[in-house]
This record gives sequence, C-alpha cells and structure tokens, in this order.
Amino acid sequence: MTARRRLVPYGLLAPGAIWLALFFVIPMYFMGELALRSGTFTEGFQPAFEVSNFSDALSGNTDQFVRSFVYAGTATLIALLIAYPLSYAIALRAGRFKLLLLFAVVAPFFTTYLIRTIAWKTILSDDSPAVSVLQFLHLVPEDGRVLATGAAVIAGLTYNFLPFMILPIYASLDRIDTSLIEAGKDLYASSTQTFLRVTLPITAPGIVAGVLLTFIPAVGDYVNAEILGGTGTAMIGNVIQSLYLEQRNYPEAAALSFIMMLAILAVVLVYLRVAGSGAFMGDDEERS
Amino acid sequence: MLVALFALVAAVALAACGGGDTVGGGSDNEVETAQPGPVEGEFNISNWVGYIDKGEGSTIEEFEAKYPGTTVNYSEDINDNSDFFGKIQPLLDQGESGGRSMFVVTDWMAKQMNDLGYLQQIDYADVPNVDANLKESLRSPAFDPDRSFSIPWQSGMTGLLVNKRLAPDVTNINDLFDPQYKGKVTVLTEMRDVIPLMMKADGIDPEDATKEDWLEQIDQLQEAVDSGQLRRFTGNDYIQDLTNENVVAVIGWSGDIALVENDDVEFVMPEDGCILWSDNMVIPVGAPNTAAALAWADFVYDPKVQADISDYVRYVSPVEGIEEVNPSLAEDELVNPPEDFTADCSTQPNPPGSAEDVQEVTESFQAVVTQ
Repeated sequence: MTARRRLVPYGLLAPGAIWLALFFVIPMYFMGELALRSGTFTEGFQPAFEVSNFSDALSGNTDQFVRSFVYAGTATLIALLIAYPLSYAIALRAGRFKLLLLFAVVAPFFTTYLIRTIAWKTILSDDSPAVSVLQFLHLVPEDGRVLATGAAVIAGLTYNFLPFMILPIYASLDRIDTSLIEAGKDLYASSTQTFLRVTLPITAPGIVAGVLLTFIPAVGDYVNAEILGGTGTAMIGNVIQSLYLEQRNYPEAAALSFIMMLAILAVVLVYLRVAGSGAFMGDDEERS
Repeated sequence: MLVALFALVAAVALAACGGGDTVGGGSDNEVETAQPGPVEGEFNISNWVGYIDKGEGSTIEEFEAKYPGTTVNYSEDINDNSDFFGKIQPLLDQGESGGRSMFVVTDWMAKQMNDLGYLQQIDYADVPNVDANLKESLRSPAFDPDRSFSIPWQSGMTGLLVNKRLAPDVTNINDLFDPQYKGKVTVLTEMRDVIPLMMKADGIDPEDATKEDWLEQIDQLQEAVDSGQLRRFTGNDYIQDLTNENVVAVIGWSGDIALVENDDVEFVMPEDGCILWSDNMVIPVGAPNTAAALAWADFVYDPKVQADISDYVRYVSPVEGIEEVNPSLAEDELVNPPEDFTADCSTQPNPPGSAEDVQEVTESFQAVVTQ
C-alpha cells in the first residue's frame, strides 16, 4: 500500500515527462549534435566538434538578433499598454457585456494566423485610409509608407499576440476582491494611489504571465517579418528559415537556434528576477 | 524511476534514428526507370499555385474520366524550389516521396535532384504524346540533354511587370534603381532570375559570367537595399502589391500577369532580354503509381488538353500544335512568344564553379535577402 502510494506522483508525472523527453530532450540532443557537425550539404555533414558554427551564427547575424529583441520588446510593451485598460474595463466595468467582450477578444482566433496577417497588408497598404490618417497627423512622412517597414512588423506582432496579453491580465483582474479597492479609498488613498498600491500589485502575476506569453513567441516569430516586412526587417526566425531551407546549412541553422534559445532564456531570467518571481508565484512577502 | 523512464525513451529514440550518420549528401539509391502499367488508383501530384484550372470540367476531371478508377489528388504545395526541396529532401534521401507520384520543379532544381539520385528516369515509349509534341527548342536543354528525367510542364520568361500609368518609362532592369521609384520596386527571392537579369542590363552575358561577376551584382543589390530603393524580396506575392499599387515595377514571371487585377500592369520585356526557364514534371524515387504519372504527362501533352491549360495559365506552352486547337493562343505573345520577342533572352543559368562556389554565391545572396 505505501509502496503504491509512493509511486503515485511518478505515475502522474509520466505523461508530461514522456512528452518532454520525446519532443524536447531528444530533439534538443539531435539539434545540439547537428550544430557541431562540419561539411557541406552536397558532401554530407560529418560528426565533428565544429564550435565555429556558433561563432559564425552569432557574428553574421548581430543586427537580426538586436532587431528581434527590439521588435518583440516594443510589441510586448504596446500590447501591455493596450491590454491592461481593456482587461480592466472587461473585468470590472463591463457588467453583463463581459462575456460578449471576452468573446470579441478571442474571436479573431477563429480565423487562421496567416489570413489575419495577410489582411494587415491591405489595412496598411500605401494608399489605405489608415496610412492617409497617419500621414495627415504627420506620424508618417507625406511620401512615406508603413507596409514593408519595421513599424508594420511591430504592428503585426502586437496584433497577433495581443490576446495572450489580455487573457492572463483579465484572469487576475477578474479574481480581484473589490472590497480591497474600497478599503484603499476608505483609507483616504486617491484613485491613482489605490491603483498603484492595491490593484497593480495584486494583478502583477497576470502581467508577468502576459509579458512572457507575448514576448517569447514574438522574438522567434518569422511570419510577420516575412509578410509585413520589407528589406532590412528580417528577424532571427527568417534567418533560420533561410539557413535551413534556402542555404541548407543545417549546422549553422541549428547553432543559431541554440543561441536564440539561450538568449531568450537569459532575458526571461533577468526579467523574472527584476519583475519578481515572487509576484509570479503569488508570494506576498517579496512585494513589500 | 523517472530517470529510468527518460533513459528508456531516449534509448529507443536513439536506436530508431541511428545518431552519428552523415546528414545530407545525396542517396545511394539505384537509378530506376519509371514503370508503366494499368492506370488506376490514387495519383498524387504536387504543383505550383495557379498552374491549372481546377474548376468544373477541368483537366483533372477529364483525366479521371479517361481512366476510370483513378483519383487525382492535385496539391498546390510548391511555392519556392529551395523551400520545397528543404521539406522533401529528408524523405527523398530515404528513397521515399511522401506519397507523391510526381511533382513540378524548375530546371536547376530538377538537375540538383537528379544529381543526388532522387529522380526516376523516363522511357519515351511510355509517353508517346511527349515524344511527338514537345517543342523542338526544349528537347535538349543543357541540364538534361536527353530529357531523361524531366518533362516541361510550362515554360516562362522572367522580366518586368510594370504599372504603365505610374512608371511608363521602366523598360530596362537598371530603371528599377532610378531614385524616383525608391521604395516602389521589388525583386524576386529567386537568385537565378534576379542576378542574371542585372548582369544582362550591365552588358555581361550570364552564360560566361564568373563567380566574381555574380558576387559583384549581389553587392549592387546590397547597395539598393541599403539606400531603401528596394521595397522587398518576393515570391509571386508581388501580385497583391501590384494590384494595390504599393509597387510600380517588379522583377516577375510572365504568366503572373493573368493574376494581377489591375489593367495598368503589363509584362515588359527588358531591353536586354529576359531569362527563360521551364518548370518540369519529374517522378521521384519511391513514387507510388508511376503508371498514372506517365499517363498524366502523356495526357497533358495532347494538344487539345494543353490548349485548355494554356488558355488558363498564360505561360509559354512547351507543346506543339495548341494554336490549331485554339487560334487565339497564337496571338498571345506570352503563350506563344515570336522569335524576335525573345531574341535577347538567356536560359536560366547556375552560378559557375564547384558546389562550394555555388554555395558561396547562394550565401551572399541570402545574406542580402535576410538583412
């Protein structure tokens, strides 16, 4: 009986563990091994210990690395600025329209990612009303454009990942005990003070989760730069695609993927350290 | 226990994949000849987008009616030679075709696949219509002198697609680099179209070009990217940009003019000539139902069938005798270009030199594209 009970947690872990082993650990092993091979596609890539694949991948693509993080970071920030007020309104002010509004957030997902991104080509095309308005406001020069620039890529990233920001923030706002906000006001805090010292800290886990869910896929994205970008807007995903499918330099593609993964891991760890893993875990003490 | 589980799964997977072997480098498959036989059952073919009419009474339905018991699964899943090759190469390397009996790739890719031992040979006794009706000019291209592994599906010209209202004076490839069109022009991601066209405009014959000539043109392209002159590198998604007038002139493929919904846009033969190419039907190793593949190739080389395909796609037809079936095709200079129209054109070349040289040129070009 006790032996069986001891095995229960392992049994519960097994599906996840097998999944991770089959679809993460093993592919990682092969990718790591491939990243160290040398040779050419026509001759075949031989097992070796070719560390230069990593330095080549890094030195040749510095611009695209920086660009990926800048684009994804900007898109995440804009998404946060849009998502927080929207989630706040849905969770605390929408009343009986709450479900309808939530549905409106999720509805675009019923169409495929690709179609939605291609639709942005029409929205942002050079003679479109949207671009004319931006030109009228002098946000875009008179003879300037939006499509096929970095701005279009950032707009696409923001749009495509916005629901991933809204939903966790909404979930944390929806659970909020509104009597805490009332208590803040009773204690003579202004609305701003109440928001900054009560609401915002309580919803911090939702913000942290939303930022991670938006930023991580956005850094590795390749579709938005491919469809909405122009010359000089390629992200790391586009370089990996080119290395793998066009140049057939499998080792360098694998090495670049590895570097990208480590870079994202580093950024995320620093972020969690700064934003407070305590907030993420819902630990109250770290916040004070 | 968890560790044991990981170890078990890892061991099984490693055994299954056989780590440590060479990756890439072509197959050891024996060269086979595609086998004829009774035509029936499933027939899977992969082709490029917009390369056949798939509607009511289409060529596909006619084929199924001619060979009862045959089901054609026609997929438009090829958008780019390199991209398609990257996806299917691991299968071909194992002697499998992913269920495809036939697919359509451009000349240089057909040669690359054949060099790697990925294609079956074709016996012309099995495709009498091809033997009888293939245009003389296409019978012995340099990459496949006996047409032993490739049969042209359609041929085409790479040149300029120009909005005559917005850019009336674009007649030469170098006109694309005129500052007045800054940010309003695009070129293809297909290196073997773009670089040779640029060479021709600079008076270099692509046939005799050296590796340095290729690299120098790639440098010029880099300058056009740096100055903001080039808006994008595209596949045939330039169709949308031309329709919306986001661009005024592009390097593009002749038949795509049929897909641009803007009456001001025309195909313009560059002053120094175009690039000529064919997309070819090939039968890969491990292809199921090669009998149906051969029957299909033979079927589309019947001038009556080909006339319908040509009327729809507006590329250059590789089949003799379609003008007798549909006289209007004779006047269409995109379908049936007169000799003086294509006099200055060149056959699509490969970069010269060894595999390493080609790789170096390809990498330089891709570095410009993925900037």
